[in-house]
Amino acid sequence: MSNSAIAASAPASLAPLPFSIPEIEEGRLSNGLRVVLMRNDSLPLVNIRLISHYGEVNDAPFRNGVIGAMAALLTEGAGALTSREIAERIENIGASLGVSSSADSLGISASCLSFHFEAVLRVFKDIVLNPTFPENELELFKVNTLEGLKYQRSQPPFLADERFSMEIYGTHPYSKVTAVPDIIASLSREELIEAHSALGVSNCTLLLVGDFEVEKLFSLLEETLGGLPQGRECSSEFPTPPQRNKRKLIVVDRKGSAQSNIVMGNAAIPRIHPDFFPALVMNQILGAGASSRLFMNLREEKGYTYGAYSKFGMRRFAGDFEASAEVRTEVTGPAVEEFLLEMNRIRQDEVSEVELRDARNYMTGVFPLRLETQEGLTNALRQQIVFGLHERYLHDYRDLVSDVTASDVLRVAQEWIHPDAFTVVVVGDAGDVIGQLSGVAEDMEVYDVEGNRVS
Amino acid sequence: MSISKVDSPPKLKPLEVFEYVLGNGLRVAINPHGASPVVSLAVYYDVGSRNEKPGRTGFAHLFEHMMFQGSENVAKAEHFQFIMKAGGTMNGTTSSERTNYYETLPANQLPLALWLEADRMRSLAVNQENLDNQREAVKEEKRLRYDNQPYGQVFDLITSMVFKNFANAHSTIGSMDDLDAATVDDLKKFFRLYYSPSNAVLCISGAVRPDECIELVKKYFDDIPKGEDPPVLDVSEPDGVAETHRDYVDSLAPLPAFLRGWKIPDRTTRVHRAVMLGGRILFDGDSSRLYQKLVKGDESVVQLFGFTDERRGPSAIYMGAIPKPGFTTAEISQIIDSEILDLSKNGPAETEMQKLRNQILNDSVRVRQSSLTRAQQIAEGWLYDENPRSFESEMEELLSIDADEIKEAVTSYLRNAESSLLNIIPGAVAAGEVSDVQ
Repeated sequence: MSNSAIAASAPASLAPLPFSIPEIEEGRLSNGLRVVLMRNDSLPLVNIRLISHYGEVNDAPFRNGVIGAMAALLTEGAGALTSREIAERIENIGASLGVSSSADSLGISASCLSFHFEAVLRVFKDIVLNPTFPENELELFKVNTLEGLKYQRSQPPFLADERFSMEIYGTHPYSKVTAVPDIIASLSREELIEAHSALGVSNCTLLLVGDFEVEKLFSLLEETLGGLPQGRECSSEFPTPPQRNKRKLIVVDRKGSAQSNIVMGNAAIPRIHPDFFPALVMNQILGAGASSRLFMNLREEKGYTYGAYSKFGMRRFAGDFEASAEVRTEVTGPAVEEFLLEMNRIRQDEVSEVELRDARNYMTGVFPLRLETQEGLTNALRQQIVFGLHERYLHDYRDLVSDVTASDVLRVAQEWIHPDAFTVVVVGDAGDVIGQLSGVAEDMEVYDVEGNRVS
Repeated sequence: MSISKVDSPPKLKPLEVFEYVLGNGLRVAINPHGASPVVSLAVYYDVGSRNEKPGRTGFAHLFEHMMFQGSENVAKAEHFQFIMKAGGTMNGTTSSERTNYYETLPANQLPLALWLEADRMRSLAVNQENLDNQREAVKEEKRLRYDNQPYGQVFDLITSMVFKNFANAHSTIGSMDDLDAATVDDLKKFFRLYYSPSNAVLCISGAVRPDECIELVKKYFDDIPKGEDPPVLDVSEPDGVAETHRDYVDSLAPLPAFLRGWKIPDRTTRVHRAVMLGGRILFDGDSSRLYQKLVKGDESVVQLFGFTDERRGPSAIYMGAIPKPGFTTAEISQIIDSEILDLSKNGPAETEMQKLRNQILNDSVRVRQSSLTRAQQIAEGWLYDENPRSFESEMEELLSIDADEIKEAVTSYLRNAESSLLNIIPGAVAAGEVSDVQ
């Protein structure tokens, strides 16, 4: 047999290898702080993350941006350390340290060689417990943030997201995707200190992944983060996103645009929901990737765009479904039509067995790839903590994907995609695009790039 | 006190690497590593934009696109579908130095990945339809990433100001005119010269058994013909930079900015490594000298950037900034000079040397975490240094460089050497319009 004969078609796979996920251990410090551990000693590294439910949804009414600012300034002065000393302590030992905030959570994370863990933990403790919010750092933060807010108004994806979120979420805090210049300019040190005082045992979980011995670790944690106060309970009561029953078109007039940025969708499901897995598989077929229907149609077949996608934005308290693409201005109308056509198609007919199998294979196959590194494991466990997922979630993931059937896919498409009630946002040159969109919706609103309604 | 079993900085075990050379010249490295049921392949071809001729710029990158357009047994666009359906991820990139292709998959999908890489190495479909289609895709990419972005072209410009040899000086994305002039015959010739097995390294890292793995490699790659030897390449550089100063009007730039470049020796020399480490002290991270001086202390820049372009031949180091309104590019550039002068006179502090050593150690642990980064490092080492384990010896050498070597290298190559200065002027300011910048 010649080699060429062997090579004419794709070869069979080898026997699958078992995939084992390290066990999760849990404990509590004497102040009650929940600690989640995953030991992984393949390399002498440790990742530590304090994860809090004190996310940006907890901003006081008309003060959105305060929690984000507080988070950003945690590393700019803490205990006896200046911003510079914090950077030096961390970088001098080759470690990394970062703080991030989102609507649902606030996270403080560090990563280092196990050998340096204690030194990192000392700085970590000060950042969590004793941030100083120096006036000069607050002023620098304001200047830089105000510049950034101006700059983002030149970016079409931001403009689309801003308008789409307002429309989908109404009075729910998820409607606010950006800080407001006036609020940033008026931030005070006292307000940041007050926001920081909410952070505590009642809303935090400490996550550690890596190479450590549990007993040594706990005594160090007790000595440092054992001093974390109780903090404040975070609210979990928010307004329900508005129900819509007809389609609406919103144009953001960005003069001189060479492309139109299209986003369309509706309110859908939060992260914890019985339809999570069917929705994920359905979206894999519809628009999650480069072999999904939207991409194959709008890019490969029609050549309208570099990429067309859809996703479920599933968060703790609510969620949405959205489809998007950046297309050449002259095909804005036809592109919207193709999107709507694909939405109707996935709601009308069952997907083929081949599509279903390919989607499930992709999702179950890439799952272990994402857990290869400590950062990958840490990110997966972070999700589990933020959303309160079942403790066997990572173990069960692949089975739950494999259990999804074609009729599940059809059912969730009908349940959670409502093209007739879509909000359709188009950021582009209004003069060029409005004429192309006349059939999309009876209701149309036009805004300028500053967010003011112009018609 | 350490929280792990060992109480000292980690001693890393050398990676296990099995080396083979097939009859057709293909170099194969296998790194068995069973921590996850995952395998990564990296195929490195010894061709980058440095191999391009005048009038034919952008070919190496255009060719990278062609490699996803099908081959004898794989239809157009099927390559990535095969990989995705098997639960894998993949990509390819082109630099001045090489073109690489890689995929990560569940370990039992190794035969599929080998078959896909072998099929396109043996029988790529180079035809008019694929060329026309990919030429348009590349032009769209050029518009999106370079022509239509503020500051999108400045790194290509400064490169052309530092280097004199055409091989080093021209951009990887190429020019629209050259892309338009590309013919099927040109590309067929390019494939013959640069995509033969003897011009490539294949590395496989992950949960594989070396004996089973090399048998599979032979099964798919052994019968690919050896091919021609590529032409000899000369990347040597005369002394000095090609151009010391240029003003460039960028119609999309919101603020004035500048970029400076210095020419330095190739990446395997100790002086290169010493300048590179000096650069890290100056601009790498929030504790670096320039960050603390400009972003924090003076609050004078919106953004600071610096990096070392590590090449197989003559290389370069770049630094630049976007000053805040109220500060000029000239005064910020002068501060960079005074920081270089200080490092050249006084050398790095002991804490800075300790920082570098810790970062080098940390980087070399991190690079071992994923099968893909291991495969890439090993393949690159074999291609560049004729040593699949060169990233391990490189770490040792970096750790051995002392403060005096950094001080001397900074003196010779940054302080006392000619540099190129690219001044970026926003379009509106250049056109004499009133700017809202105070």
